[in-house]
Amino acid sequence: MSDLLVRQSMLQLAVTICASLGVTAAAVAYLRRYRLERPAIGTFDLRDVTILMTFIVVLPLFYLSLPYWVLTPFLVLTFGGALSIGLRPVLPRGAAWTVIGVLLGANLWVARTMLGTQTGWQLYWVCVGLVVFGAAVCVSNLYVQGGMRLRHAAWFTLALAVYDFTFSTVLPLTPKLADRFQGHPLNAAIGMRWDVFNAAIGVGDLLAFAVYAAAAYKAYGARAMRLVFPLVVVFGAAAPSLTPLVLHTFTRGSLNIVVPVQSWFGPPAFLLYRWMRAHYGPERTTAQFRADLDAEQVVRGLPHSQPVPVNN
Amino acid sequence: MFQTGIRQFRMAMAMVSGRRIRPEVIEKLIADAAATLAEFGAPGDDVRELLEGPFADPEAREHFQTQGVRRTLRRLDRHSPFYRRRLAEAEVSALDIKGFEPASLHRIPVTTKDELVRYAREFVCDDVRPHLSTRTTGTTGKPVEIWLSVYEARLWPALAALAGLLRHEISPDDLLQVNLSSRATAAVQHDIEVCRLVGARTRVLGLVPAGQSLDALLEGATILGTYPSYLAGLLTEARARGLSARDFTLRRIDVAGELLSAAVADGARETFGAEVTDTFAMTEVLPLSGRSCERGHLHPDLNVGLVEVVRLDEDAPAAPGELGRMVVTPYFPYRDCMPLLRYDTGDLVRRLPEDTPRCSLAGIPGVSAIQGKASLLVRTADGPVTTRDVLEVIEGLPTRPWPARFRAWAGDDGRLRVCVPRSVLDDLGSDTAGLAEEFAERGIDCAVEIAAPDATPRAVRADLTETTFPGAEAPARPLEPHHV
Repeated sequence: MSDLLVRQSMLQLAVTICASLGVTAAAVAYLRRYRLERPAIGTFDLRDVTILMTFIVVLPLFYLSLPYWVLTPFLVLTFGGALSIGLRPVLPRGAAWTVIGVLLGANLWVARTMLGTQTGWQLYWVCVGLVVFGAAVCVSNLYVQGGMRLRHAAWFTLALAVYDFTFSTVLPLTPKLADRFQGHPLNAAIGMRWDVFNAAIGVGDLLAFAVYAAAAYKAYGARAMRLVFPLVVVFGAAAPSLTPLVLHTFTRGSLNIVVPVQSWFGPPAFLLYRWMRAHYGPERTTAQFRADLDAEQVVRGLPHSQPVPVNN
Repeated sequence: MFQTGIRQFRMAMAMVSGRRIRPEVIEKLIADAAATLAEFGAPGDDVRELLEGPFADPEAREHFQTQGVRRTLRRLDRHSPFYRRRLAEAEVSALDIKGFEPASLHRIPVTTKDELVRYAREFVCDDVRPHLSTRTTGTTGKPVEIWLSVYEARLWPALAALAGLLRHEISPDDLLQVNLSSRATAAVQHDIEVCRLVGARTRVLGLVPAGQSLDALLEGATILGTYPSYLAGLLTEARARGLSARDFTLRRIDVAGELLSAAVADGARETFGAEVTDTFAMTEVLPLSGRSCERGHLHPDLNVGLVEVVRLDEDAPAAPGELGRMVVTPYFPYRDCMPLLRYDTGDLVRRLPEDTPRCSLAGIPGVSAIQGKASLLVRTADGPVTTRDVLEVIEGLPTRPWPARFRAWAGDDGRLRVCVPRSVLDDLGSDTAGLAEEFAERGIDCAVEIAAPDATPRAVRADLTETTFPGAEAPARPLEPHHV
């Protein structure tokens, strides 16, 4: 085992633990604090999981087929849309769009002008990371506040486990996608550069963690978090990061590694859902969750989690 | 959620484009709405827009109405034998319809009940197969018969169930007791279907003796659907038995078809412990209906039809505050088999004055509460007196003569005459002066007469029951002879 590989894995471990725990905790905090607008009729169901999976299978092919001059505007629209949904109850409209504009603009500028130095790469990852972090928190809340339950999230992660393994090893689309995004604006990952090492975790993985954690919190409250956070650290961050130390299947060249994170995370996440279902009983509905949350905040003397008025 | 969005989009597109709305899409949306309520406890943020349409914006409202009128005219011109002739007589050609404005509707004469009875077959469109007939609930003369297609029989309850669920007017936990006339086939079928689609229970009883209905109400009914006069009978029976709100599980009482007085509404609220909702529903103009707001305005559902208020004696728009006749045009694609254009309902309403205080339904243009039938309007020397004017006085008496029985007419001297049974006066002294004073307090000068014990003059219920079918003289009805 090379020293380089160990150091690469340690950086990967640090990055993924920070990113996954940060996104997971932020998604739960957002769920507690803010309410997203939702349509008059509609709640998330298992058919939506199927539709989501279809998008997840199709989108990489789409991304790979697009020239950069089309891909970049498409990513700007995608991330801008995701952030605008999430920032709507947080900031006034003008401030929200200013933040989004600055974040996306900084991404484009840094990716085009500053990648010749290590500091430039680190700044690139900070810019990219902020956007991806925000998008994962917003989109996970869009789903969970839209009615996605832990049952749906568990099936979603299980399906992702199959997908991730298939498209990392059998049909290696994921490595190609990682290569395609690298060094370009709005790379769909959170990462960091250190010396010659580059570590990152994809937005899809972070979204899966955030969705699972927020849904678990909605379903069973804080007691679920005592299980979900360790699950994310062990199976979402540690296991995939350390895999290259014992398995070389996912290593291309010396340090080019793409591990199917969801293949590690999905099965135990699904089993944990089954365990919680058996021990904690039926999940709370969103209405029950909100009622419990409001009661808790009344006890603490905090304001209710009402939507923040915005000027449309 | 994705599929629900697609269904909502399909429904909206059908509404905007004027194509027939697939009932199965609405039925699936009902299931989606039920799932939404189960998960969130309430519908989402833009539910008001979904339910009430674009009526808060005057420009959008005008555009929507213009499109609705044009597509209805187009359909009538092509497929309704009666209206094809009428439009030709009014010199409205297919070319005119393309640029037709609702303001020009007065070029086309109103359709009367007389015409609807006389030329019934010609009102049925030639491209639709009639499926279910329903009749007006009039107890005298030849009632109006309206035919529905399978499409309408599925669409109307589906639209009502969706709106009812989202407004929390009905839920899967409810038991709806239906005390409607057996002739009101569409209304009864509608109620049964709404309950089926929502997953609620239905108990159809008809207009059985009040005591029987009351017994059934005590067995878990949560919603009651009936007429105001029948509700008044139930109320009288309940009070006679000493029942109160804690004996009932009712949460809503929906009444329609007649006039509901403030006294009966208040009494029902107190005795049954339920919200009383006065709605406008009329067999001939279905599926257009109307809801009453807390200020007593009637707000018709303008998504499905156009409502005009025309002057009493001429086919011209009534001025704000003026008493007029309500003329209704249900739009295609909501009305399909036997559509009507400018149907004169005979119901009297006032256009709301411009400075009317805003109410909770201010986004939907409204009119006053229904004041009675034009045919029962009494033209006195002091001005017109409506059925509601008399009803509110009599049902508001401390003797609680519910449902009210009276007859009102103008004497030769132009003064209002009101004939009531003696029981009405029990607590007001032996003469009629006390009752006349009650009228005077409301600014109505009248002479009161007591019905002779053996007399059976033509009685007028305090309702909208039809008494003016052409070719049939209204039979006399006793004025509660036991109390006279």
